[in-house]
Amino acid sequence: MGKYSWSKLMFFMMLVLVLALAACGGGSSEEESSEDSGDSSSEGSSEESKDESEAEGESGEVYNYEDFNQVVSNDGEATGEGTLKVGLTSDTPFEGTLNWNLYQGNPDAEVLGLFDEPLLTMDEDFQFTNDGALNFEVNEDDKTVTFTMQEGVKWHDGEPVTIDDYVYSYEVIGHPDYPGIRGATDGFTLIEGYDEYKAGDADSISGIEVIDDQTAVFTYKEIAPSLTAGGFWYYAMPEHHYEGVEIADMAEAPQTRENPLGIGPYKVDSVTPGESVVMSKFEDYWRGEPNLDGIELSVVSPSSIANALETGEVDYAINFPTDQYPDVAEMDGVEWLANIDGAYTYIGFKLGEWNEEEGKVDYKPEESKVGDKELRRAMWHAMDNEAVGKRFYNGLRWEATTLITPYHAEWHDDSIETPEYDPEKAKQILDDAGYEDTDGDGFRETPEGEPLELNFASMSGGDTAEPLANYYIQSWKDVGLNVSLTNDRLIEFNTFYDMLENDDPEVDIYQGAWGVGSDVDPYGLYGPDVAFNYPRYETEESTKLMEEGNSPDALDVEKRKEIYNEWQALMVEEMPVVPTLYRAYVVPVNDRVTNFGIELGHDEETLPYKWGVTE
Amino acid sequence: MLKFTIRRLLITFPQLVILSILVFFLGSLMPGDALSGLLDPNIPAEAIQAKREELGLDNPWYIQYRDWIFAMFQGDFGTSIFHQRPVMDVIGDRLMNTVWLSLFSTILIYLIGLPLGLVSGRYNDSLLDNTITGYTYLGFATPQFIFGLVILWLFGYNLGWFPTGGSVGPGLEPGSIDYILSKINHLVLPSFAIALIGLVGTVQYLRSGIIETKQKDFIILARAKGVKESSVYNRHIFRNSILPIAAFFGYEIVALLGGSIFIEMIYSYPGMGRLFLDSISTRDFSVANVLILFYGILAILGALLSDIILSIVDPRIRIK
Repeated sequence: MGKYSWSKLMFFMMLVLVLALAACGGGSSEEESSEDSGDSSSEGSSEESKDESEAEGESGEVYNYEDFNQVVSNDGEATGEGTLKVGLTSDTPFEGTLNWNLYQGNPDAEVLGLFDEPLLTMDEDFQFTNDGALNFEVNEDDKTVTFTMQEGVKWHDGEPVTIDDYVYSYEVIGHPDYPGIRGATDGFTLIEGYDEYKAGDADSISGIEVIDDQTAVFTYKEIAPSLTAGGFWYYAMPEHHYEGVEIADMAEAPQTRENPLGIGPYKVDSVTPGESVVMSKFEDYWRGEPNLDGIELSVVSPSSIANALETGEVDYAINFPTDQYPDVAEMDGVEWLANIDGAYTYIGFKLGEWNEEEGKVDYKPEESKVGDKELRRAMWHAMDNEAVGKRFYNGLRWEATTLITPYHAEWHDDSIETPEYDPEKAKQILDDAGYEDTDGDGFRETPEGEPLELNFASMSGGDTAEPLANYYIQSWKDVGLNVSLTNDRLIEFNTFYDMLENDDPEVDIYQGAWGVGSDVDPYGLYGPDVAFNYPRYETEESTKLMEEGNSPDALDVEKRKEIYNEWQALMVEEMPVVPTLYRAYVVPVNDRVTNFGIELGHDEETLPYKWGVTE
Repeated sequence: MLKFTIRRLLITFPQLVILSILVFFLGSLMPGDALSGLLDPNIPAEAIQAKREELGLDNPWYIQYRDWIFAMFQGDFGTSIFHQRPVMDVIGDRLMNTVWLSLFSTILIYLIGLPLGLVSGRYNDSLLDNTITGYTYLGFATPQFIFGLVILWLFGYNLGWFPTGGSVGPGLEPGSIDYILSKINHLVLPSFAIALIGLVGTVQYLRSGIIETKQKDFIILARAKGVKESSVYNRHIFRNSILPIAAFFGYEIVALLGGSIFIEMIYSYPGMGRLFLDSISTRDFSVANVLILFYGILAILGALLSDIILSIVDPRIRIK
């Protein structure tokens, strides 16, 4: 072979290599579909994790959110001037419906939170307190609540906030023409006369009586514990500002999009649709003079938010992608705060169907392939969620135990013992329950001798979704269960929930996630007549506990705690779903920022008007 | 010419009708609708179902299609469920951004691409040509989103010369000089990211066109007549080599107007590409359908534009 053809061959080989490399690189630009999807994670979470022998120390640093501060350590004196630059991490522009009663998407809520504030405050147990602009007094005997608006609270245009502005929120949300999806929770539906108003049969809500400019008395059908745990609506709406706007058109009105009003320490100067909002100090803020000249918020894409923080272009990032944290943890000039997130990931089992006619769940464990509690228990024993948390999420997600997360610290019962990772025990349970490999194919058959093939549905989104799904499947295989991915691949968000809603027979097991609200009540997810009850699980005992938990009897917190502890224990015993991971989130803040915190519950010291910079 | 244009436009109409039916039908096959993303335990399923009925999302696709078409003929393009405002407002917000970005990128592509192609073709196989050709190979091989990130990191973050995201600085009065300058400033990085990668095709086409043309007999004749060398290149060769580029011009414009999803994501640039992708993944069909129709019209117009340009540039091609 001559020199010439040799180099030609080399060139050809190079081309082949280049092509092969290019082919490997494809398809990695899948976007995150939703916050409910599996979320992405850090590097080091590749397929190797199937080997579960050594759980720790392989995928880099492991973090614990409890080691982080919740309040910035910069305790210097705020200068009283300066602009705080806020980066809203999002790969889409914000929608710009800037009113608490009308918005839909989370980015809008983040913008709103900077210039409008809730009238009612909450403590760390998510119980309303009287530290806000609105005070309330519950009278259990005659089922009324008296709301009193403090004097001196002003809208950004200088008009005083009256109780009418609060009542107006209810009148807008309850109105038959109201375009949004709020107004179906206890805080609304329990008010006397609300249903008639919503149906269009009444011009006003009969249970709301305005006494004077500051006071109104609301009459409820029943005082449920959920009312004081996030149930009362807690935002006012400026009636004078929306004069002449039809309720159906409010969401698109310039009053909402271009010059929104709030009562917070900073007022909106200008909105660049979808991109940025400039706010300046509101001198007449009712709590006192704010410590900054203004706030500048702009949308920053997740791919460049870390750089924006490093260069100081952004002082504080909202919705920083937690999975990026391990890569940038050592960044100079930035302090990382962390707290627990109100959400959990879980593995669900399909145990019945939705009964469309009666609007309730048909719990039919005997017809379900995973209807046997022992089988589910064995599957729980087979999963090493501690290792999953450490290796896939660097400890920023960790093994879950019960369905009431430690986010509700008062309500979460950490004394409940859940099946630990123990594949041998899993095998033992399966053996005892009669699941044995009778035909020698390596997989167990049902006690009746039928082959047992289970389909596991998991959502696409993020880098971790696939290895994680494979990991669970492998874990179950290791104890002899034949589990495969539904459709042989990960499922896109909309399709996934479509399959769950319609009880697709191709789904026996699925991995999902839920965000939890401020009220601990799990009825909205596990009640017998709620469509979000995807496992389609319902027993008298569980329903009874959940109903008791939100009945007037449970107004006593200790009593309510007891009820929910019992419910958590019951769910671990019955395991219609297995909670797999709790999660934390991190918030990066520039060192120059002071009086800033992300604690749960009201803290006088870190309220937005106290936020300041020290240089 | 005029007859041709009119005839082309007439054919366009049934094409659009078929396109819209197809889009609607395919959309109806996709699981989920604009409300299925509302997984909030605080919102009872009945409330969502009621909303669904109110919006007619439960109707079969042909009923929805009929309602949509009728409304559109009355000038009502529908309301985006996700954005809670009229579809035309939503698109309008983004359209101008995309128009500016594509205009800038196109100008850059031709402003940089044409001279490079000319030089490269004229002095082929020189060091200069090799450098330019090397660059085009590199450009072909570099994914736009990687390149976009690299120049963002370099010029946006490291050197700090340009803003790193958005289409305009915060708090500026629309229409003011500062506003316009800020807009331009925000356009520099994304349009260079598009242009420096997008121009490689132009350079290559022009280069090979020139190399081919300059060996033709009429060029030899022109030289023999004593035509100046610069004029040989600028008039005779250039005009003959530009055919393939002209043919692609219309398509190029359309592709750019469609929005560059990656570039828009990297630079948080609120353009049409993101809007389209988002409205598909949130199943906000009222927006997605109008956008697809819009793209359809653009594509047809782009092809028409290309044909017309071609017939102007090359008198041999006459449309009958």
